[in-house]
Amino acid sequence: MVRRHARPGQQPVLAIDDLRVRFRRRRGVVTAVDGVTLEVHPGEIVGVIGESGSGKSMTAFSVMRLLPKTADLSGSIRLDGQELTALPEAAMRDVRGNRIALIPQDALQSLNPTLRVGFQVGEPIALHRRGTGTGLRGRVLDLMRAVGMARPEQTVRAWPHQLSGGMQQRAMIATGLALEPRLIIADEPTTALDVTVQAGILDLLRAIRDRSGAGMMFITHDLGVVAELCDYVYVMNGGRVVEHGPVEQVLTAPAEDYTRMLLAATPSLDAPLAEVGT
Amino acid sequence: MGREINWPRWRLALIGGVIVLTVLLVAIFAPQVAPYGPLDLDVAQMLSPPTAAHPLGTDELGRDVLSRAIFATRVSMQVAFTAALLGLVVGTVIGVLAAYFGGWLDLVLMRFMEVLFSFPAILLAVVLMAALGTSVFNAMLAIGIIFIPGFSRLARAATQAVMRQQYVEAAQAIGMGHTRIIAREVLPNIIAPLLVEAAAAFSYAILLESMLSFLGLGAQPPDPSWGNMISTGRGFMAQAPWISVVPGCAIFLTVLGFNLVGDGLRDAFDPHLRD
Amino acid sequence: MGPAFPTLTESIMTALVTRLLSFLFALVVASLLLFVAIKVVPGTAAGAALGIDATPQAIARFNATHGLDRPVYVQYLEWASNTLHGDFGTSFQNGVDVGPELGRRFLVTLELAGLAFIVANLIAIPLGTWAALRHQRASDSIITTLATLFGAVPSFFLATLLILLLTLRLKLLPPGGYIPFSQDPVANLRLMVMPALSLGIVSSALLVRIMRAAMIEVMSSDFIRTARAKGAPQRVVVLRHAIRNALSTYLNVAAVEFGFLFGSVVVIEDIFRIPGLGSFVLTGILNRDYPVLLASALSITVFVLVVNLIVDVAVQLLDPRVTDKKAA
Repeated sequence: MVRRHARPGQQPVLAIDDLRVRFRRRRGVVTAVDGVTLEVHPGEIVGVIGESGSGKSMTAFSVMRLLPKTADLSGSIRLDGQELTALPEAAMRDVRGNRIALIPQDALQSLNPTLRVGFQVGEPIALHRRGTGTGLRGRVLDLMRAVGMARPEQTVRAWPHQLSGGMQQRAMIATGLALEPRLIIADEPTTALDVTVQAGILDLLRAIRDRSGAGMMFITHDLGVVAELCDYVYVMNGGRVVEHGPVEQVLTAPAEDYTRMLLAATPSLDAPLAEVGT
Repeated sequence: MGREINWPRWRLALIGGVIVLTVLLVAIFAPQVAPYGPLDLDVAQMLSPPTAAHPLGTDELGRDVLSRAIFATRVSMQVAFTAALLGLVVGTVIGVLAAYFGGWLDLVLMRFMEVLFSFPAILLAVVLMAALGTSVFNAMLAIGIIFIPGFSRLARAATQAVMRQQYVEAAQAIGMGHTRIIAREVLPNIIAPLLVEAAAAFSYAILLESMLSFLGLGAQPPDPSWGNMISTGRGFMAQAPWISVVPGCAIFLTVLGFNLVGDGLRDAFDPHLRD
Repeated sequence: MGPAFPTLTESIMTALVTRLLSFLFALVVASLLLFVAIKVVPGTAAGAALGIDATPQAIARFNATHGLDRPVYVQYLEWASNTLHGDFGTSFQNGVDVGPELGRRFLVTLELAGLAFIVANLIAIPLGTWAALRHQRASDSIITTLATLFGAVPSFFLATLLILLLTLRLKLLPPGGYIPFSQDPVANLRLMVMPALSLGIVSSALLVRIMRAAMIEVMSSDFIRTARAKGAPQRVVVLRHAIRNALSTYLNVAAVEFGFLFGSVVVIEDIFRIPGLGSFVLTGILNRDYPVLLASALSITVFVLVVNLIVDVAVQLLDPRVTDKKAA
């Protein structure tokens, strides 16, 4: 098994090397991420799949340095070659929302109920001082159109609860795209949505990958989604990467029992397998 | 996460427990602990500041402030205990009956409780005292009545939760009588939250009793109570602040002790309420 | 406005009507309870008004003039009907019309409770927020402990201590009395400092806990993580995203606490000789002055009921899933 899916002559957007996340508890230390190494290249959607508690979300939040304060992190996380783990908090704030964006799992819970949608979509631009006033408003409208939101002019002034689940998730994606990030971390962005809406969001993410050239780390527990969307996949279990490789390879010829077990639990996969791996 | 790092909480509960135990012992053994009788006059030593003979000073009639505060503990504990018990027993009976039998009984009882609950507690205590007449016994009654709606709501909610469990249905199915079901299945399962509430009621009762005596509606002079001692002392605040300060601190410490124990009980019985 | 602009649905209207009906029910029962309770107050009105050496004839005459010789239910109905028409009767003691006096005293108590409420919030909101942000660290423990300590002080003892310190020792503030704000704002506020502190500090004990719990809950919500993921600094996370949301929970409880404050002014008004509704209640009790006692006790109760009703309704209206959250 290859250790990395390094591409010759190309620097990865994200390179995680031997990441460990531990929580000090009164009754000893809990290891949530146990020596994870992975890479995300420009224009690539990398799936990180595992059951809850496998450490996949912890890995994602480590990259953004949004772990609880009791977490103890070691290893290396490099964004375009820049080491993030040693970055001071103020510098890390410049990275968040600017060079790395998060598309969260539950869009409604992730939107502030007391602020208008347009404000929240434009907030990264304002926070990173890249635009104000009418210019900001125009860019928010552009972003909303880009993610396919209905009636942007009205939606800008809407409250989060007034949008449908799919539109809420599109608002979160628009927020993530606001500053054209190098890396997009999508944390199960379609789990809370029903199937038809889910398909629309996956199409949108694919389109974003194609036109922006950003790297995307796609956290999920759904092999079906991985098969449909991702180029490369890491399978995580118990805080470790147990297997990784191009999606086609992992899904058709899994090397690990754990992956086979995940595959067996996803019966609908049989059909789309043939189309995987463009 | 709270379970691991809440060491200050149980340490506080322990402090509370020590305070409560001390206060209870002082109340029980007041005649043995107090250096003087509560009504003993020392005419030569009126308004005396703390001395060897009177560790916490004397009042305007030369009575020993420490001894009076110690004897006042009895009034306070009696009223608080009886009032909390009255609220607990009557409230529980009402709440359990309302939840167990439901229907119109539930509706009537709980509507009535709602009205009682909507009165501002302090106003209700004052008006009830005025209606019942000023005495220690009536203070118990008035404060107890105030507690009834709170306990009844809690008992009703807890009983309804128990009723949804399988075993009550099972007990009814095998033909167990209502009384036995309530005694065997319902009460043991609702007692924990009620006791937590009782600890809170206890400390609130101490506050209310002292307030009523302060207003002259509770224990009547010359019998000492913390409230009437503070009230008397206010007239001598400039020369002899200890007359008010000593009973005030006694109330503060006692209420604090019961609150800390109450918080500890709440933590122990209901992990969900933990932060 | 937003695309879909929800209007009050039928279910909310039903809820409002239910609340209103139970409010009216509470009002009737409360007034009945008060009336009956006060009628059995030991010692007679005549005794208190005429003195202990009044002749039986004089007492009978007094009772007849004031209608006290009729059955209680007749007295209640008459009193209720008069009250509904805004006639609160006249004081047995000095023949003064209770209605206007009640209005004056209501404003006094409202000022006292309002200032105390401001004190309570000025303590509770910053301390509760601070404790939540320092959750499970030293300053959290200190603030939580402080709140526990505040909660154990009787307001009348705190008042006594404040008088000892600020009036007797430091000679900074007058010991008590009342001057209307319109007459001399400075003197009015100087007189209100100690009463407002006594009530406010004690009631901040509960509010600190509420604010802390609300902030802890909000800080752990997903949208706070979103804000951080956008690169927002702590100041923006707390002020723009967290506090607004915590306040909507907090204010529900705080509003009820305001009603509670209003209901607990009796002792403080007595100590500081403030001519509000609370001291009116005590005067009524002391003199067996039924019209005074009934009118003052009932107006306190009604005010508290109205505050609770408003909170109930406001909670319904401000729920983001029901209608736009304009308040925030």
